[in-house]
Formats: sequence, C-alpha cells, structure tokens
Amino acid sequence: MRRTMLYLPGNNPNMLVRGHLFGSDGIVMDMEDAVALSEKDAARIMISKFLRRGDFGRVEVTVRINGADTEFWKKDLEAVVPCKRLDGIRLPKADSPQIIKDVDEELSRLEDKYGIAQGHIKLFCILETAYGIWHAYDVATASKRVTAILPGGEDLVADLKTSRTPEGTELEWSRRMIVIAARAAGVDAIDLMFPRVTDDKGLRRDAQFSKDLGFDGKSVIHPNQIPVIHEIFTPSEKEIEKAQRIIAAAEDARARGLGTVSVDGRMVDVPVVKRAHYILVKAGLEKEDE
Amino acid sequence: MKFASAGTLESMDCLVTVSEGGRGSGLAVELEGSGVSRFRSAMEKTVRDTLEALGANDLMVNVNDRGALDVVLEARVETAVKRLRGER
Amino acid sequence: MPLNALGRDIPAFIEGYGKVKPYRGAFALQPSGNVVGPRLRVTNADRTDKVLPDLKAAIAASGLKSGMTISFHHHLRNGDYVVNQVIDACAEMGIRDLTIFPTALFGVHKHLIDHIQSGVIARIWGSVNGPIGQLVSAGGLGAPTVLRSHGGRPRAIMCGDVHIDVAFMAAPSCDRYGNMNGMQGPSACGALGYAFTDCQYADCVVAVTDNLVPYPNAPISINQTCADFVVAVPSIGDPAGIVSGTTKVTRDPLRLLIARYASRLIEASPYFQTGISFQTGASGIALAVTAFMKEAMLRKGIKGSFGLGGITSYFVDLLREGLVDKLLDVQSFDLGAVKSIAEDPRHVEISADMYANPWNRGAAVNMLDVVILGATEVDRDFNVNVNTEADGALLHGIGGHQDTAAGAKLTIIAQPLLRGRIPCVTDTVYSVTTPGECVDAVVTEYGITVNPRRADLVEACRGIRDVPVISMDELANKARRMSGPMDPVETTGRIVGIIEWRDGTVIDVVRQLKK
Repeated sequence: MRRTMLYLPGNNPNMLVRGHLFGSDGIVMDMEDAVALSEKDAARIMISKFLRRGDFGRVEVTVRINGADTEFWKKDLEAVVPCKRLDGIRLPKADSPQIIKDVDEELSRLEDKYGIAQGHIKLFCILETAYGIWHAYDVATASKRVTAILPGGEDLVADLKTSRTPEGTELEWSRRMIVIAARAAGVDAIDLMFPRVTDDKGLRRDAQFSKDLGFDGKSVIHPNQIPVIHEIFTPSEKEIEKAQRIIAAAEDARARGLGTVSVDGRMVDVPVVKRAHYILVKAGLEKEDE
Repeated sequence: MKFASAGTLESMDCLVTVSEGGRGSGLAVELEGSGVSRFRSAMEKTVRDTLEALGANDLMVNVNDRGALDVVLEARVETAVKRLRGER
Repeated sequence: MPLNALGRDIPAFIEGYGKVKPYRGAFALQPSGNVVGPRLRVTNADRTDKVLPDLKAAIAASGLKSGMTISFHHHLRNGDYVVNQVIDACAEMGIRDLTIFPTALFGVHKHLIDHIQSGVIARIWGSVNGPIGQLVSAGGLGAPTVLRSHGGRPRAIMCGDVHIDVAFMAAPSCDRYGNMNGMQGPSACGALGYAFTDCQYADCVVAVTDNLVPYPNAPISINQTCADFVVAVPSIGDPAGIVSGTTKVTRDPLRLLIARYASRLIEASPYFQTGISFQTGASGIALAVTAFMKEAMLRKGIKGSFGLGGITSYFVDLLREGLVDKLLDVQSFDLGAVKSIAEDPRHVEISADMYANPWNRGAAVNMLDVVILGATEVDRDFNVNVNTEADGALLHGIGGHQDTAAGAKLTIIAQPLLRGRIPCVTDTVYSVTTPGECVDAVVTEYGITVNPRRADLVEACRGIRDVPVISMDELANKARRMSGPMDPVETTGRIVGIIEWRDGTVIDVVRQLKK
C-alpha cells in the first residue's frame, strides 16, 4: 500500500530517527529539495549511515536523490544502493524514457557491484515538465523498475508557464493524466503533497480529490497529515461490507450458472466486481493480483 | 588554520569541527554538550573509530552535542573530515 | 548499608534529617496515634483588624526567630513575588538559618541563591529546580533537601514530622480578618489547594495580599479562624507568570503519536465506560491524551464523572460540553480555569489533603480511574524517576506523581523513549520516585508496554491491532541499542536529597555530584 509516503529531510537527524514511527506506508529520505546545495554531502553521508544501521520497521524505504541533470546523482546512488534496507529511488525530473534508461543502467551496475539482486531497487518517477507529463506512459514503461509515477509541483507549474492557485487549477489536468498513464502502464500513481500543514480542512478536500481521481496515495510532508489521508484512502467498514456482499453475490451467481445478479438494486457486472476486489485490496483484506 | 565543520545545534544533532593539528600531534578530541554527562566514553570511541576508518590523523576535533545518536555523530565526523580534505 | 524494600541503599540516620524509616512497600505502613495541632489562643472583639503595615511588621509580630521553619504555597507559580519578598525581609531583619518549606519552587526563586549562600536559608524541605536544583546537586546546601509528594506533605504536617512556625500565604483576595480565596483580584490563581493544611497547622499564619477587600470576603477558601495577621503589599505576583492565557493542545507529531497510543490503551481498558474519571495535568502529551479521549468519548457516547488535579481550560471545556460532570481542582493552571472555578459550582476547589493524603479518611486519588504521568526514567521493574535528570542532578519535585499512581486504577507513564540520546527506559532508575507496583503501563512512540503484574490489562491489549504492543524487555533493549552504553554518574558519598514516599518512609536518596 502506498497511501502515504512521508518526506524526511535528509540532513535532519531528528526526522530520520523517528520518521518511520508515524504510520505512513513509506518514507522518502530526501537529498534533493529539502537539502541546501552546501549540505548535499552531509545529507548523503547521513542517509547512507541511517540506511546501513537504522531499523525502519515495515515501511517502504525510499530515497529521493538529486536529478540526473545534476552533478550529484551518481554519488547519491553509490552511497545508498549498497544498503540492503533500500527499497526504491524517487527520481526527480524523470521527464523522458532516456533518463529512466540511464538511471536503470546505473542501478544495475551498482546492484551487480554490491551483490544486490538485479532489479531489486524500484523507481518512483516524478514528472516535472510538460514534456514529462505528455510522455508519462513512455516514462512509466521505460523500465521494469518503474513502480510509480508522480506529478511535479512548483517546477511543473513553472514549465506550464502559469502560477499556483488556491484551487489547484494549474496542476489539475497534469494530475489526471498521471493517473491515466499509470493505469495504462500498470504502475502506481502517487499524488502531490499538500503544502499547508496546519490547514486540516484543505488537506481533507485535497486528499478526497486525490482519491476520487484514482490515485493510490499521496506524498506527505508532515506526520500530522498521515491519519487524515489514511482515513480517506482506506475504505470504510460500510464500503468493505458492501464489497464483500458484491463478491459473494457474484460468486453465488456464477456457481448457479446465472448470468447477472443484483445487489442493493444495482446490477453487479464484471467492472463492479473488479471494483469490489480493489476495495478489499485497499482495505488490506486481499492481495493485489500481479 | 584550516578547519571544517558539519552538523547543527538542532535537537538530536551535533556540530563537529575538525582542524589540522601539527604534524605528529595525533588526535585531540574535545566533547561538550548534552550527551557528555553519560555518553562521553561512547562518543569518544565513535569519534576515534570513525577517524581511524578514514585514515585521519593529526587533527583537533570538537563535538558540540545536542543529543546525537551514534549514527549521527559518525556521519557528522565523517562529513567534517571529508570537507577538510576538500571532498564535497 | 541497609536496603529498603526496593533494594536502594539508605543509611539508618541522615545528618540534617534524622532517623530514617525505610520504605517497605506502597501500602505497608500503618499510622498510629493522632494528628498534632496548633496551640490554643484567644481572639477577642477588641481586635477586628489583623492588617499590619508591611511584611517586616508581620515577621516581627509572628515571633519568627533564626532557626525556625517557614512555609509557602506555589499557586503563583513562576509569577510569585511573595517568597522572595519574605526572605529578603528576613535577611534585612537579621533572621538566619531558616528552614523553608514550600510546596514547590520555580525559576523566579533563583533569587534565593544569594540567601542560601549567605546562610539566611539553611534547609529546603521541598522540591528544588533550575539553578537552585543545580546548586543543591553540587552540594551548595548545608542539609539535604527533603522531597515530599502533594499528599505526603500534608501528612507530614499533620503527623508532626514537620512543624511550621510561620506560614506566609499569598492570598489573591483577602479581607481584614483573614478570609482568603484565590479566585478574585489582579493576581487571581484559582484554587488554593496547597495552602489549606499549612493554614490549619502552622503556629502562625500571615496572609499576604494585593487585594484587600471589605469584611467578610466571599467566597471563603481559607477562613479567618486560621489567620493571625494580614499584610497588604503592592503586588503578590505577575499575572503573566501565574497563569497562562489558554493551554493549547500540542501539534508536535511525536507527542501526538504517543498521546494517541495512550488514548488507545485507555479505550481498550475496562475503565473506558460512562462514569470514567481521569487526571491528565498540563503537559503536552497529557493534554493531547485528553483531546483524543474526548474524541473517543464522543464516538462511544461516554460521559466522565470527574476530572482531577491541576485543571486547565481544556478540562473546563469538557465540563461545559457535558463530557465530564465535575472538576475537582487542587491547582488552576490558566485563565479559563480561574474563571470557571469562580463561577461554576460544578468546578470544586479541593485541598491537597483531600486530593492526595494517604492517611485520612479517603483522598480523591483513590476514586480516580485513569492518570497520565510523565517521567525522566522508567526501569525494567516499572519503577519511575521524576526527580533527577540523566546527569544525576536533582531538578524536579514529586508533585502528585506518587499519590495519583498509588490511587488510580490505571496509571500510565507516557513519554518519548529518547530525549536526544538519553533513554527514558533503563535497566535501573538512578533514583526512585514511584515504585513499579503502582505503575500499570508505559507508552512511548514505540507502542504500549503493560506491567506484567496487570494480567487483565495484558489480556485487554491482545485485541489492539492498530497500535504496537511491546514488552518491557523489548523496550528496554531497544532503548539500550539506540542510545548505546552509558557512563555511570559520579557522586560523592554525601546525601543532598531525600525522597520520601507518601507515608514518610524514605524511598531513595540523591547524592552530591562530583565536579
């Protein structure tokens, strides 16, 4: 499950020690935007040590390295790939299939060098230009490592030659396209973080929107956001109960050789059953079919 | 005198400053801050072990601690030494 | 050296304290005999005005001499002026070698350090913190300081363990005949819970007020039959230091996480039903627990019977919203609480005796279901330390910790596992405040840890899915792994602090730190 992925500034020991305790599904140790240029080396060393020694419980452990357009990315990978606890790399500015292939190749080289299973480290691709959003499907399918795609924030807004609005109009369609591309490619779609940390109402609205669009979850910049997002992304008891009834009714109909069946006055056909299974997967009651 | 530092005085961090000592001066380690009252031995060991692993010698190291765990102290010492050597 | 029931080394006699009664168990000691009392006196109708012109006149009239014991309450908290003013006056009058017996001291009282060093103050029987605590820990006080809980202190007075010569009682509202309350006036502090026993048992009581009102005052918290003299001063304290504006629930994610876990434990316990009573105090975590409990109570339609202890406006809101029926208030922390206790009959002032004294006909802590407490350390036996810090310095008082832990049905210690590098769970606490037999659970950011003595709670926690439940061994091992090995604290043999249990036995001692 990737309902929440909590950003941990890579040069901030306090958050690195505690970040995995707040119940998010994943953590993102950040070497990129949360770290000043003059501190990139410090963050790289700090994150590397934490990955070697830290205990992170059961969260998915990822690192956002600096983009492939910087001088840092190869050093970043060299510092973290050898650490067995690493599950994935979040790659900013992942705007073309070629970039993915380059990073994939470097990852394979390092996995080989350090005796890590080939393909073990997954890629989370952030699309931060119009070109990237347009080619989201191609980026998502450029490598088997790609496990999720994400829309960019500020940089994307700038590339679209517009500015941020409270309603989020400027990024709405980029977010929609990410979901479409992700589903077409068979990868996860993880939505933007909500920046206003004390605005609980705004977070609820935004998280509900993410969910309704079809995202699997959201990036998170503050632990207090986690329970709200989980509440919205986790099916309610009512939804679960209904999903179970639908599946049971469909099974029953099939066993008795009936064509279609009705639950609560609505016809239950294949897409409805599929959605019901998906709800149980989201509730953690069923395993996702690969 | 050439010196470099790494870390901050934020909670759970430490500020490590390393400077070149004279040739043959060995390692001089100075510890201060909140961890010192109960962790002096552990901190001293971590600093010296880290310096040894880096092949560092003839240095003066000052650690101003704000409750850094071992892993954090190690990271800050390594970063400071590498900065002193001009590796960023 | 003899060991007490917790295995701590306590000598049989301590210089500056006397013969030691070693701790034998939380409920082991039975009292015998009667309470002591002040001497009889007569006050006739020819005296209708107890007001004296200033503190020095009152000190002279009280008969205070060098070597005597004087007491204070701490309801004015860090805004108090009275303690410093009284000691300054004593010093100017050449009175020295005093034992001061405050219910607590605050940062504002660091002013007293000069008087300690000059010999005006020879002994402190009460908690020491901040700079005074550092001074005591380094051996700067001639005799050991004696710490007692909120309930143990009135017991000690009533048993004659401590004899108060003069009690100087700050009174935010007072009439000329000595009827006092804490609810009115520019320096209003709400409840005067810690003042009652002093006023009933001291040889001489001096009310110090900045708000002299016509006779008779109303409401009356402490009545005229206790007061010998009244002094009006320009100000008894700074309101900004006496009460905070409003107490707000923390937004710190770590504290919220721990609070959520603690609340979950309360929900799973057998006590989470209508009629529940609880005490949480004003700390970040404790207040957040109240907030989560409120949500749970609303969800399950549960109403509380009473809230106890130090009351904040957050608790007052629970009263107003009908989530709790009554408040029993021994200390009011903020403006909302002060206003409420003055206006709402369901918000009741109680004395420290009624709150927590183990040797009376029943204290309020005995009726308590749940209490959330803090700690500097907890050990594998669930013994708790709130008095000393990791460096061995004696910096905190007991407060109501021992009393609420002994009385409440569910005692929860809620604390981050690490403060910086310092673990709050250790193999053995450096000094004991509250014994493990009174502590039911420890809640940290790593989950809920139940005392195995409470098989019923262990069972109740089996059903908890959304919060980690972790054994004390695992928790202590994790703390050790994360913080690493600790150097021992280096002390001299000299005892600088004596920690009494509620019943007057000595549960532990604190020794002077080596330079």
